[in-house]
Amino acid sequence: MIKTWELDPGFKYEIMKEPGGEHLTSCYQCSTCTIGCPITELVPSYNPRKIIQMSLLGMREEVLSNPDLWICLICQTCTARCPQDVGISDLLSAIRRIAEKDEEAGKLKIESPRPLFDTAFLHTVEKYGRLYDIGLAMEYYPKREGSFIAGQKAMMKDYKDFGMRMFFKGKMGPLGGHGLLKGVLPSKIKNKDVMKKIFKWAEEKEK
Amino acid sequence: MGIAVIGGGVAGITAALDLANSGYKVYLVEKNAELGGKMAELAECQMGLSPYIAKVNNHPNIELMLSSELESLSGSAGNFKLKVSGKTIDAESVVLAPGYDVFDEIPKSYGFGSPDVVPSLDFEGILKGATVSDSGGLVRPSDGKPVKKLGFIKCVGSRCVENEICSTACCGYTAKEIWVVKERYPNIDVYVFYMDVRVFGKDVDLVAELKDKYGVHYIRSRTPEVIPEGDALTVKFENVAKGTIDKLELDMVVLAVGLLPSKTLGRLAEITGVKIDNYGYIDTSITSPLETSVPGVFACGTATAPMKVRESVGLASGAALKAAVLSQRTEPIPGQEDRKYIEVGDVPPKIGVFICGCEGAIAQTVDIAAVAERVQGFKGVELVNSETNTMQDAMAAIESGIVDQGLNRIVFAGGSPREYEDVVRNACANAGLNPYLLEFVNLREQCAWVHDKPKATDVAAGLLRMAVERAKYLDEILIERYPVIPKALVIGGGVSGMTAAQGIADAGYEVCLVEKAPELGGGLNEFTELQTGEKASDVLKGLVDKVTSNERIKVYTKAREEDVRGRAGSFKARIVGDGVDDEIEFGACVIATGAKEFVPEGYLGYSKDNKVVTLSEFRKAGKYGAGTIAFVQDMGPTEGVINAKSTSVEVVSSALKVKEKNQDANVFVLYQETRTYGKWEAIYKEAREKGVLFLRYDSKKPPVFSSGILSVFDTIFNDDVQIKPDQVVLSTPMVPADENERLSTMFNIPLRKGFFMEAQERPKMVLTPVDTINEGVFICGSAVYPAMIDECIAMSTAAASRANVLLAKNFLETPAVTSVVDELICAGCGVCVDMCPVDALELTDEPVPVVTFGVATVVSGVKRVAKTGDGCIGCGSCASYCPSGAMSLKYFKDKQVYAQLDFV
Amino acid sequence: MSVTKLAYYPGCPSEATALEQHISTEAVFEKLGVELVEVEDWNCCGAAEAENPMLVYALNARNLAIAERASLDIMTPCSICYYNLARTAKALKEDEKLNAEIKGIDSTLEYNGTITAKHVLDVLANDVGLDELKSKIVKKVNIKVAPYYGCYISRPPGTAYDDPDDPVSMDQLIELIGGEVVPFSQMKTLCCGGPLMMTRADIAYDMARKILDTAKSAGADCVALACPLCGMMLDAKQADIEKALNIKIEMPVIYITQLLGLALGIDAKKLGLEKNVVDTKELLGKVV
Repeated sequence: MIKTWELDPGFKYEIMKEPGGEHLTSCYQCSTCTIGCPITELVPSYNPRKIIQMSLLGMREEVLSNPDLWICLICQTCTARCPQDVGISDLLSAIRRIAEKDEEAGKLKIESPRPLFDTAFLHTVEKYGRLYDIGLAMEYYPKREGSFIAGQKAMMKDYKDFGMRMFFKGKMGPLGGHGLLKGVLPSKIKNKDVMKKIFKWAEEKEK
Repeated sequence: MGIAVIGGGVAGITAALDLANSGYKVYLVEKNAELGGKMAELAECQMGLSPYIAKVNNHPNIELMLSSELESLSGSAGNFKLKVSGKTIDAESVVLAPGYDVFDEIPKSYGFGSPDVVPSLDFEGILKGATVSDSGGLVRPSDGKPVKKLGFIKCVGSRCVENEICSTACCGYTAKEIWVVKERYPNIDVYVFYMDVRVFGKDVDLVAELKDKYGVHYIRSRTPEVIPEGDALTVKFENVAKGTIDKLELDMVVLAVGLLPSKTLGRLAEITGVKIDNYGYIDTSITSPLETSVPGVFACGTATAPMKVRESVGLASGAALKAAVLSQRTEPIPGQEDRKYIEVGDVPPKIGVFICGCEGAIAQTVDIAAVAERVQGFKGVELVNSETNTMQDAMAAIESGIVDQGLNRIVFAGGSPREYEDVVRNACANAGLNPYLLEFVNLREQCAWVHDKPKATDVAAGLLRMAVERAKYLDEILIERYPVIPKALVIGGGVSGMTAAQGIADAGYEVCLVEKAPELGGGLNEFTELQTGEKASDVLKGLVDKVTSNERIKVYTKAREEDVRGRAGSFKARIVGDGVDDEIEFGACVIATGAKEFVPEGYLGYSKDNKVVTLSEFRKAGKYGAGTIAFVQDMGPTEGVINAKSTSVEVVSSALKVKEKNQDANVFVLYQETRTYGKWEAIYKEAREKGVLFLRYDSKKPPVFSSGILSVFDTIFNDDVQIKPDQVVLSTPMVPADENERLSTMFNIPLRKGFFMEAQERPKMVLTPVDTINEGVFICGSAVYPAMIDECIAMSTAAASRANVLLAKNFLETPAVTSVVDELICAGCGVCVDMCPVDALELTDEPVPVVTFGVATVVSGVKRVAKTGDGCIGCGSCASYCPSGAMSLKYFKDKQVYAQLDFV
Repeated sequence: MSVTKLAYYPGCPSEATALEQHISTEAVFEKLGVELVEVEDWNCCGAAEAENPMLVYALNARNLAIAERASLDIMTPCSICYYNLARTAKALKEDEKLNAEIKGIDSTLEYNGTITAKHVLDVLANDVGLDELKSKIVKKVNIKVAPYYGCYISRPPGTAYDDPDDPVSMDQLIELIGGEVVPFSQMKTLCCGGPLMMTRADIAYDMARKILDTAKSAGADCVALACPLCGMMLDAKQADIEKALNIKIEMPVIYITQLLGLALGIDAKKLGLEKNVVDTKELLGKVV
């Protein structure tokens, strides 16, 4: 039972102001996105169309706290097929960013580790200009697991076999790659200041 | 001079025939080698179009230019010069009917190249090819295995990024295709995947029938993929009720592809200078749907917008009238010339048998050569011609047979007489032979299509034997003529009535326009502005001024017509009103009584709660400031009403207006189907973009409004949604005008759900949208089907065109096949008078030369006998019931019928 | 052939996890006579993790600007880098206000829209062209290949350069080098699961498995790729998938540049074929 007077009719406009969310209201609920989405085969409850409809109705809390927001593969299949050019992949991304903002403001707790991963990734990019895998892992795992030790354990579990494979194939680690210690130490760009500027500007735009 | 019609599809053919039949010279230009356009490729339709093509081919006023294209146009209205494939034509006006193209950028996700995923036009070809009996059933193109499960996916190439608008015709044509499939192959399971079902008029009942009677599954889900897996096609769809993505395995899938503007329009616009609209169609306006930006150049059919055949034909007739008004009648109307028939009398019958192959349809099972050989041996047969394959050639052969070889009976064996008999009769008449010395044998439906080889050949020979024997006894029937009164009566003074009256007057005839209200205007009086922004009062004033200032139009207001008598070309009636009682006579009548809004008493609290208003009340009040407003569409009773074609357009444009005036308003539209067809899809998109929320409900669970809360079960959301509206606006269906019942009886034309029925030749095709079964009586506007104002204007102009075709004639022929009384035998029992379904018989006192009473015979006197009146329709009931044999039906006299039976 | 020199944007995976794609790309273009100049001091494009489009535009404005200063179009072997670079180029060309704002961040971010970004597969199939490639092929690579395109080559519509449901650029190259494309149409653009690898490995493994299983049952000798993220999922993680789902796949996964390189006569070592995680030795036997 949806009581529309208890919902937030301004939510849809909030989403539309976010880059990527501009075409939310073009949706005519045809189900094309949901039917073509590869996730729906594996997670039957996953339904981007429904997320859109809830957003249109103004069910702000339900949408932003929906764990399904975080299992989107951003594969763009929905975007490519949508007959109304809603740009669902970018739309869900916009909604995720609103959720992250709400979390930052303490209004919401996001269950998925995805925002942690994204943040950790981007921290290394901001710092070095390029992705530093090990740096990413060092930030991500502890935050995800809640403590440094637990984080190390989880990282070892995930990376042990994979890391060994990369090492033996000479792609990461002290013996391989393009130079000594490739992959072990971060690859840095020269103009690091510009990274700081870029990230600062982007953060301002988010607000 | 003359009129150039560019395009030989159904619209071009219709316009050409209307013009040629009213005495104009027509140049019909078609780029392909054959007439017919897209319609010739459609199942169930091509057959209906063939007789019209035959008429065009045989028409003296039409210069047919096939394999020809328009190269240049210069001059102005009344004086155009066209260059068509090197040839120069002078024309006073031009009608553009270049047709449409089919969407063909089908995403590979539909089948990944599988031959079992078929675009609809190709599917029509498959259905058409399977017309002849016993082709086994519907099989998969890939492996020939029978199709047990068939899917239809709608909106492929419509309402999407590649083609923004709704193609209007697809929901209807899909329903037709499914009906054909279910009728022929009842065991096939059919699934339809759709977003909205946008059907109008008769198609609404068809879809209901498909769902209820034929068990077709309509699934609301726009499916983007058809995956070939093994030897099946997997289609996924969202089951919104269960909240799951389900799969279906089908054998074959048909894609209902959209309609696009013809690829020729770009070039055509360059040549003619006509403006093209944002969607690539020829630009016309809502109050002037037939005029292009170039005066004297008119457009019709799918070149102006995607539409179904019915509307294309209506617009074509309308465009024909517009073109006619600018042009001079220079040609004689066929059939109007003085015809002198040779006296056959006692001359022994010289029978000519002409077997026409009907473009191969008959030769599929009948060995025509063998039949011809056998027929040659029948007594009385002078000539057998089985060489012709087209109607044109056959007619030429018949005429030469009559003129050169003195044939005085013609037996024609070909397709259906319903379609072709008048063409053959005309050929006989042209050659000087009374057209009722013709016997028509149907070798197609009554032989080739129902028998296999070799039986079909025997049956054909048998049918021809019967025909030859009967022909020996055919006698000339006197054909009488009566003058056509060049005046028209238009009933109803709304937009449609006024437009029809204007059109007929422009064509040169006097018109009587009768309106029951104190002023003209009808339904348009209820509007302040049209959906495209024009002020309704301006539009209305324009129409009213034109009509009232037209010398040929006599307007009666607060009046009604009564006591209608007569027949096409020669009607009489009384106009009764405020101090008026005029007796008028007219040759044609146009009924444009419009429709009324249903008063939704009791629906959602209407008339009890002042928050609830109808859409027209809402529009009239003009207050758009509500905080929360809910528009409710599609609520109403299941009987006695019909949904107007304009419903969704009106609801959505009102919702949009609220948002435009008050951005923060919460606007909801509760609907069963959105029906913003054609280019109106754009306002649906705009409404959504501006934040109007659309909630879909099912007819079985309509919304409820109580204690200030509007509750609706949203079938897509699969939950109840409650709204606290400041206003609830009900868009209601339409009910027929009060006069319709009375007029239906008076004019002998049937009603369907209270609205007037068009004459219809084939079950799923409308080639006569404004004609009725009563010749000379035409219908248009909302009295037939409540539609948008542009369609009403086009259809009423079409009615004017059809009236013009009739009124242009100087005289009409009385029906030839009527009953006739032998007064010497007639006992005056009166059984026939009771039997007659149209009350055309009466008992009168007639002077007779000899009167027999029992055994006594009295010479000369007056006897009470039956007499056949003007209304006789030739059904023969009287002749078959007559106990004394005094009554017989011309052309079906006992001798003639027995001759056939003797040789069955 | 219209292209002689290009700016080369390797992308972050090139230095490590997709090293073999990187070196095979360099080798192939050297053989073709196209000079590749690495985008000087290039920075990360933001990949899938920079969900804020503004951040992506700013990051890639820098890369585009660097290439523009050298007056060279950018070519990248990574699909997602291509997507980010290409959509940035488009956005900055179309939105003047945005372009001005980004220029305002730092002078090195000035991009004027005179160069464009392209993906390696696009350059090979369309700019270098099939005819040119044919003329340089010296060996026949007689293997059955399942061409896997992934998401960002033919989607979304704004940056795509091939059909979204059934692309053909890789198919054409495979046939050119003497290989046979196995029936694989429905899997060509099905996402490999890469973006969820770190946060929902369960979903990612299921997606990757579908692709590999289909390739296997279609009789493929290997899966061909054009994206390093896909390479991560399908090649580097294949053993993890086998372990987690308790199945055996053993499907070699190799980059299209490696396959092409073999046909061009380049030595296997120079193409990094020993660096692909799932063994490729068997494939090398089929090179004639």
